[in-house]
Amino acid sequence: MAFKRDKKEEEDGGNPYQNLEKTSVLQEARTFNDTPVNPRKCTHILSKILYMINQGEQLGTAEATETFFAMTKLFQSRDIILRRMVYLGIKELSGIAEDVIIVTSSLTKDMTGKEDTYRAAAIRALCSITDVSMLQTIERYMKQAIVDKNPGISSAALVSCLHLCKNTSATDIVKRSLNEIQEALNSDNVMVQYHALGLLFHLRKSDRLAVTKLVAKLTKSNMKSPFAVCMLIRMACKLLEEETIPRSESALFEFVESCIRHKSETVVYEAAHAIVHLSGTGARHLAPAVSVLQLFCSSAKPTLRFAAVRTLNKVAMEHPTTVTACNLDLENLISDSNRSVATLAITTLLKTGAEASIDRLMKQIATFVNEISDEFKIVVVQAIRALCSKFPRKHTVLMNFLSGMLREEGGLEYKASIADTIIAIIEENPEAKETGLAHLCEFIEDCEHTSLTVRILHLLGKEGPRTKQPSRYIRFIYNRVILEGAVVRAAAVGAMAKYAANCSMLHDSIKVLLKRCCLDVDDEVRDRATFYSQLLSSNNSQLITDYLSHPMHVSLPVLEKTCQDYVINPTKERINLNELPADTVIKNVGISQEPIKKHTVDNVKPVEASVKNVDGQKLSALLDLNVGNLFCSSDSSMLTEAETEYVVRCTKHIFNQHLVLQFEITNTLDDQILENISIALDISEGFQFINEFTCPSIKYQETGNVYVCLKFPDDSVDTIASFTAKMKFIVKDCDPITGEVQDDGYQEDYRLEDVEMTLKDQMLQVKLGNWDTLWEEAKGVCFEVQETFALPLTDGGLSDTINQIISFLGMAAANNTDNVHPPNKSSHIVNLAGMMRGNCKVLAQAKLALSDNVVNIQLTVRSMDERVAELVVSTLD
Amino acid sequence: MMALITRILDWIKSKFWTEEMELTLVGLQCSGKTTFVHVIASGQFSQDMIPTVGFNMRKVTKNNVTIKIWDIGGQPRFRSMWERYCRGVNAIVYMVDAADNDKIEASRNELHSLIDKPQLAGIPVLVLGNKRDLPNALDEVELIERMNLNAIQDREICCYSISCKEQENIDITLQWLISHSKSNRQSST
Repeated sequence: MAFKRDKKEEEDGGNPYQNLEKTSVLQEARTFNDTPVNPRKCTHILSKILYMINQGEQLGTAEATETFFAMTKLFQSRDIILRRMVYLGIKELSGIAEDVIIVTSSLTKDMTGKEDTYRAAAIRALCSITDVSMLQTIERYMKQAIVDKNPGISSAALVSCLHLCKNTSATDIVKRSLNEIQEALNSDNVMVQYHALGLLFHLRKSDRLAVTKLVAKLTKSNMKSPFAVCMLIRMACKLLEEETIPRSESALFEFVESCIRHKSETVVYEAAHAIVHLSGTGARHLAPAVSVLQLFCSSAKPTLRFAAVRTLNKVAMEHPTTVTACNLDLENLISDSNRSVATLAITTLLKTGAEASIDRLMKQIATFVNEISDEFKIVVVQAIRALCSKFPRKHTVLMNFLSGMLREEGGLEYKASIADTIIAIIEENPEAKETGLAHLCEFIEDCEHTSLTVRILHLLGKEGPRTKQPSRYIRFIYNRVILEGAVVRAAAVGAMAKYAANCSMLHDSIKVLLKRCCLDVDDEVRDRATFYSQLLSSNNSQLITDYLSHPMHVSLPVLEKTCQDYVINPTKERINLNELPADTVIKNVGISQEPIKKHTVDNVKPVEASVKNVDGQKLSALLDLNVGNLFCSSDSSMLTEAETEYVVRCTKHIFNQHLVLQFEITNTLDDQILENISIALDISEGFQFINEFTCPSIKYQETGNVYVCLKFPDDSVDTIASFTAKMKFIVKDCDPITGEVQDDGYQEDYRLEDVEMTLKDQMLQVKLGNWDTLWEEAKGVCFEVQETFALPLTDGGLSDTINQIISFLGMAAANNTDNVHPPNKSSHIVNLAGMMRGNCKVLAQAKLALSDNVVNIQLTVRSMDERVAELVVSTLD
Repeated sequence: MMALITRILDWIKSKFWTEEMELTLVGLQCSGKTTFVHVIASGQFSQDMIPTVGFNMRKVTKNNVTIKIWDIGGQPRFRSMWERYCRGVNAIVYMVDAADNDKIEASRNELHSLIDKPQLAGIPVLVLGNKRDLPNALDEVELIERMNLNAIQDREICCYSISCKEQENIDITLQWLISHSKSNRQSST
């Protein structure tokens, strides 16, 4: 008895369908064949089947077909609920079972019948079982249903047509109902009008002209349905993005703007959202949209508040000044009971607010930061990051806040974003370095994420030795050796060794610490400790520089690939580190405004560039040239306008003594075939023509390559040149459709833009940590060339000029000396390093001084090769 | 007053004595299946019928017997599904266009392959030669011979020549059907 009751209780609580078993449910489905039909029982079984399918249970074709046909027997029952369940069952099984068209006739009867409750559902079920061949049979009924006066039925027909359009051949049949769809568009029902418009747009979407006409027509008419108007706004925006006329003259934009004054809130928000997200909207056009969003901020509905503040947050990223007007309303939202709204409000304020309000806002965030989810916390962190680059003076407040957040609980992604932010602040703002490092030290004392700890230890090793009091970090680092896992211990050993190499006063104490690590249980830790203590005991400053303070600058992806190749296919030749391309740093000019983006660019680009180098390495083998290893390849540049008959791009591959120009030629004419293509170059004095590899033929939309190999002049100063280029080829006409080629062709010349050889092409950026020491060392042994120039001052101030210099020279700035801090400084020194073709190291120092509207630059270049040094100086001239 | 009582009595009687039967109507396309259902349901002949895509389900009540009719489409794509709807019914009605000489052979083959199915063993079959109003229509004897009905020995089989248009022999067909409803069959065995 007790047992029975237990069982009953179990059944009462929880999901009655929880433990369904497929075979037994399908077995039960045989009941459908019984006569007379028991509607209640069958409805229950059908729900089980539907539940099962929606939980992801897979039915085999045979099982599904069996169940489907059993289900068709239920059409004899007149029970309304059962019939509607059958419709659902048909829709679910229509994709799996065979011969589902068997119910066509029954469904057609229901959709045209008197029972309104059946009709809409029957239409939906019918369209799910209908294939293109059957569609013509039901076309007549669909047309009638589209214009039915019952809105539910009309909508069902319209949406079902939209689903049918997934099949392209069905689209043509649906298009025959255009008249009916147009009629439905004039319906008084909001839903029908919306669905009709959606279908109409779908049918015409491939025909731009038709869409333009439709939008133009509808924007003038006054549609009742707010949903349809929203849809129309979206379509108008799509067209607007492609429009070339200015916004103020565009009728479409006028329409979108007029919707801001619509009586429906949905439409008003949609219009405001659309204007904000249109590319290239100026502040003047934004203003009305922003003021509407401002109104929504004080709405009683939480959804409206959320939508408004979220959109304002987006606007604030690009146009902070426009949003400033809403500051008061946003302030009110900070205390909103909805935490998501409050977070978005604060982060928006942080973007728009003045320096003075930061302290107050940070305090306010602190009150509820623990209550929001990680996702929103990351939004806050990113806002702080943007603030730090905007108001560097506020770093103490922000840094304190970040360290507070670091101490709280949180996932890896959240913690990593905070650590990233602190690291970015340290890099951008030298004043913040000491505090930032201190916060990070504290963080690793209690950090559960190994990857983060390792990163921070590396950073401590890199930045710590150059602070005023390096010794204070040693305790934190050595604590890791005592407390943490093997990976962290190894990283800590590496960091400590860097202190020993760079700070002579810590040298002896660290050697003692390293000695202790030599007894570690982990192989990697022991190996590192032994290696570093041997190195430090040797007192050989050259070795210490090469392996500790200035580790190798070989491009790691290339090294990895070379080693892999060697393991797969060992050759007698040894891998020579000097022959591998140096590690390059590619820095995008002009993105210093957006520190978040910059970080990702820095991380990704070098790898891509190096991998491209690997491809280029195959080049000499491909062309059978004896030119040694590839030094670097330039980005490809266009030698033609974008939309001409032939598109030609040029990539420069630089070898020690040689230059290979790769011309990628694309034929965009469908009635021509190009044959025997070559490039005639007018090479300047000093260059020597070695070889050319022509391309036999290029068909329509194909790309072929022509290679020209040249030898560089002996004197480096002559390598800056520009060659006029002409493409020579034979044109043969061909039939665009059959591709049949006519035999007789004619010779043709095609003038290309000049190929420019610059210093940048021959120079690799090298990012040095110990630039100062190398600069001093080079003083005695290298040639030095010095020159003074003046450049006009641009809007971006000194940092603009620095970016210009870097892009001319193709060298990298060491130790972030390219960051001018504070930005309005009147003088600055940039330290640069690069590697010239032939593995010739080049160091340069540019001293910039501001006077009136001119930047005076004194450039000093040191290199082992005098001509190279002169070349570098002359480039800037 | 008496009339009312009689009607109530009739109604109660019908509740007690109503029989149910289920039959499946098959045959090649355009032989007149849907028309036949229409005729016995409403007593009227209608000229323009559209081809049945799939099946129609009709319930017809005659003489206290409710007949459930599964009218299945005759186009080739549906013929493989006939069997599914013939399982467990009281009778299979097979419609033949008696005036279409060219299709008789195809019709015969379909009939024989259908009743050869082991699942349908023993189910009575009624073959109806429709359209006897047309010239050149086959009569019962010719139909039995052309359809090779004598070869079917394992079940009850019957053949009538009817015309839906002229409503000829519909009544005897109905009589045959009603006599095969559940209780009647039980009493006859």
